Amino acid sequence: MDFSQFNDAERNHLQRVMEQKQMKDFLKLYSGLVERCFTDCVNDFTSKTLSSKEDGCVQKCADKFLKHSERVGQRFAEANAEMMGGPK
Amino acid sequence: MSFFMNQASNQTVNMQNMAMAEQELEMVSDLFNRIVSSCHQKCIPKTYIEGDLNKGEAVCIDRCVSKFFEVNKTIGTKLQQMSGAGLPM
Repeated sequence: MDFSQFNDAERNHLQRVMEQKQMKDFLKLYSGLVERCFTDCVNDFTSKTLSSKEDGCVQKCADKFLKHSERVGQRFAEANAEMMGGPK
Repeated sequence: MSFFMNQASNQTVNMQNMAMAEQELEMVSDLFNRIVSSCHQKCIPKTYIEGDLNKGEAVCIDRCVSKFFEVNKTIGTKLQQMSGAGLPM
């Protein structure tokens, strides 16, 4: 986003807002990922620890989600740039 | 002294502009989060066989993001037309 129209005080303010938002987003990502991978991978309660299969599933679930989110981010940035500056 | 340290504190913060900037920030990040969750639901099977995205998933994600933006634009235009025509919003 372009903040060049703002003065230093305003940029500082927005910087703080963005840092707070990043913290909040991280916590949301954490809890969301736990819930998603728990729901998708853990359905057997005949033991109280994760089986190696469940653990593997959770690893892959988390890895895959992060890669998914990264790829969406790339496409998102491209689409955004195109909307702002017109197609190149 | 305050020259170097608090150059910023002498400047006034335009609250109205800040509120608008914050709202825009919120809108963009909300859009992003909605795309992530919607395209994950549509493109990633729940049988996590591998930790990497395979070719099909990657292509699906690219198209999903593109289509989401398209729908976003279509609905935006439609709502704008409706509000322009004075229909209830």
